[in-house]
Amino acid sequence: MMSANQVQQSDPRTGLPGPVEPDDRPQSRRRRRITADRVGLYGLLIVAALTALFPLLWMVSGSLQSLDELLSGKSLLPKDPHWDNYITAWVQGDLGKYLLNSVGYTLTAVFGILVASSMAGYALARLEFWGKTFFTFVILAVMIIPAPAMFLAQYRLLVDLGLSNSRVGYVLILITSGVPMATLIMRSFFAGQPKDLEEAAALDGASSPRIFASVILPLAKPGLAAVAVIQGLAAWNEYLMALVIFDDNALMPIQRGLTSFNSAETPQQEILLAATAISIVPVIFFYLLAQKHIVKGIGAGAIK
Amino acid sequence: MGLVFLAPAIVVIGIFTITPFAQAILLSFQTWDGVSPDTPFVGLQNYEFVFKDEAFWASMTNVAVFGVVGFFLGNGIAIAMALAVNKATRGRTFFRTVFYLPGVLSVVVVGLIFSSMFDPRSGVLNRMLDVAGLGSLQQNWLGDPAVALPSVVAVFIWFHWGFGFLLFLAGLQDIPAELYEAAELDGARGWAKFRYITWPQLAPVTTIVSLLTLLAALQVFGTVQVLTNGGPGYHTMVPTLQIYAEAFTNHRYGSAAAMSVLFGGALVLLSLLQLGISARRSRS
Repeated sequence: MMSANQVQQSDPRTGLPGPVEPDDRPQSRRRRRITADRVGLYGLLIVAALTALFPLLWMVSGSLQSLDELLSGKSLLPKDPHWDNYITAWVQGDLGKYLLNSVGYTLTAVFGILVASSMAGYALARLEFWGKTFFTFVILAVMIIPAPAMFLAQYRLLVDLGLSNSRVGYVLILITSGVPMATLIMRSFFAGQPKDLEEAAALDGASSPRIFASVILPLAKPGLAAVAVIQGLAAWNEYLMALVIFDDNALMPIQRGLTSFNSAETPQQEILLAATAISIVPVIFFYLLAQKHIVKGIGAGAIK
Repeated sequence: MGLVFLAPAIVVIGIFTITPFAQAILLSFQTWDGVSPDTPFVGLQNYEFVFKDEAFWASMTNVAVFGVVGFFLGNGIAIAMALAVNKATRGRTFFRTVFYLPGVLSVVVVGLIFSSMFDPRSGVLNRMLDVAGLGSLQQNWLGDPAVALPSVVAVFIWFHWGFGFLLFLAGLQDIPAELYEAAELDGARGWAKFRYITWPQLAPVTTIVSLLTLLAALQVFGTVQVLTNGGPGYHTMVPTLQIYAEAFTNHRYGSAAAMSVLFGGALVLLSLLQLGISARRSRS
């Protein structure tokens, strides 16, 4: 440090110390330290970003190679991109069917969660009734019950109800797993809203359901959006129950479809990578578009 | 009226969460093959079986590794990167977007991508080591008993650290700037500012992130199932996967239920413990 400083301060032609203004020194040293800090900071950030992105970039690259090229492992980038891998994946993997199933499950589950959780959240935040403390406790308590303790018995229950290997059974399970957290998010959302409008509507003689539908819900859009995006992501990515419930390929969501494609004998690696890439297109688009809501929703969900 | 509003939520929770929870406990004292309507009681037989079951205990040990490494390394990376992004003046949104990106993928997608990357012959990881002249570091990442568990844990961390990162970053942005300004006037430097302002201010976030990442690590399932299915041997077996295999592969639903009671019970205790500690801390 010291010597570097001296070199810098010396006259470039003679090598002798040049005229130095003493006040200049600490400042330039600090500036240099700040620059070094910046370089380190951005270096770290860029390395982390590359680590986060590399597997996805590799997936795209691998999905565009021919099988020989991929197995030889010689190229990081495809020499001659095989776009037709994507068509093969789409057709062989029957991805259209699985994606459509996933869209259906996700939309129905999110809708169900929004209805149940906004009603329950409103009741817990605003209404007085018998057993309120008890039910609040129940909803908090069921959030602690982990999936490993449940999925087996949930499967058994669905068998008993005749709902295993059925769309209805799967959606009901998705709704159930989303409702507790969504309810707590909605409860704290409603608790933070001003009461004036409801009170005015109540004075006008509107009933609770009326007030809820015409005053409360329209104002609750930000809360509903946060719930919808995180529950939507969770439903889209759900795997364990889809694995347990479905035997019938025609009913499976995309995650399950991918693994059943994987275990079939047909797909070659590059085709499987293409199928994987196709499967994440909706979720990536959704993430980039709804990012703000997702970040907010994750925060709200975690802190409740 | 309140009960009417609450009804849909309580009905689904009652039928699909509380009933199965009770049923799982009941089933752990019974035997069931997964099909027959007959489920005779067998007393503690399932529990005796589980206590002697090597695979189950191997899975518990492995998942402890997931828990510990996920907790320290995962949260460490999350908090370090949150501090870094918070300090950055440019590209904050970009880095935040990229860092959480893995978190929106499914366990299946992550498993399939890394299976391909880990392939010992054609996988990009070994190829890159080869090109870099580090051929001696090449591994059979998922097939070698000594390397498989660290590999799978590394994938898990890659997949999950973004979650803690988002929450830490939000927590950092909520710390009032005046606190830092006051500390600077008092002559506090980088470390002191972190130790006396950032860390205590982040404490509530740290508690919740710790609990959630720990629970997520202990419940790991899909990533492992797709990557190794618990192998080689039981070297990467985890409890949720073991419960699944015991029920749906071995058709011993009773002992699978006993496993889920033991393991699920441990998770519930852990949550209660952590919530109790944080409640006491916030009271004091």
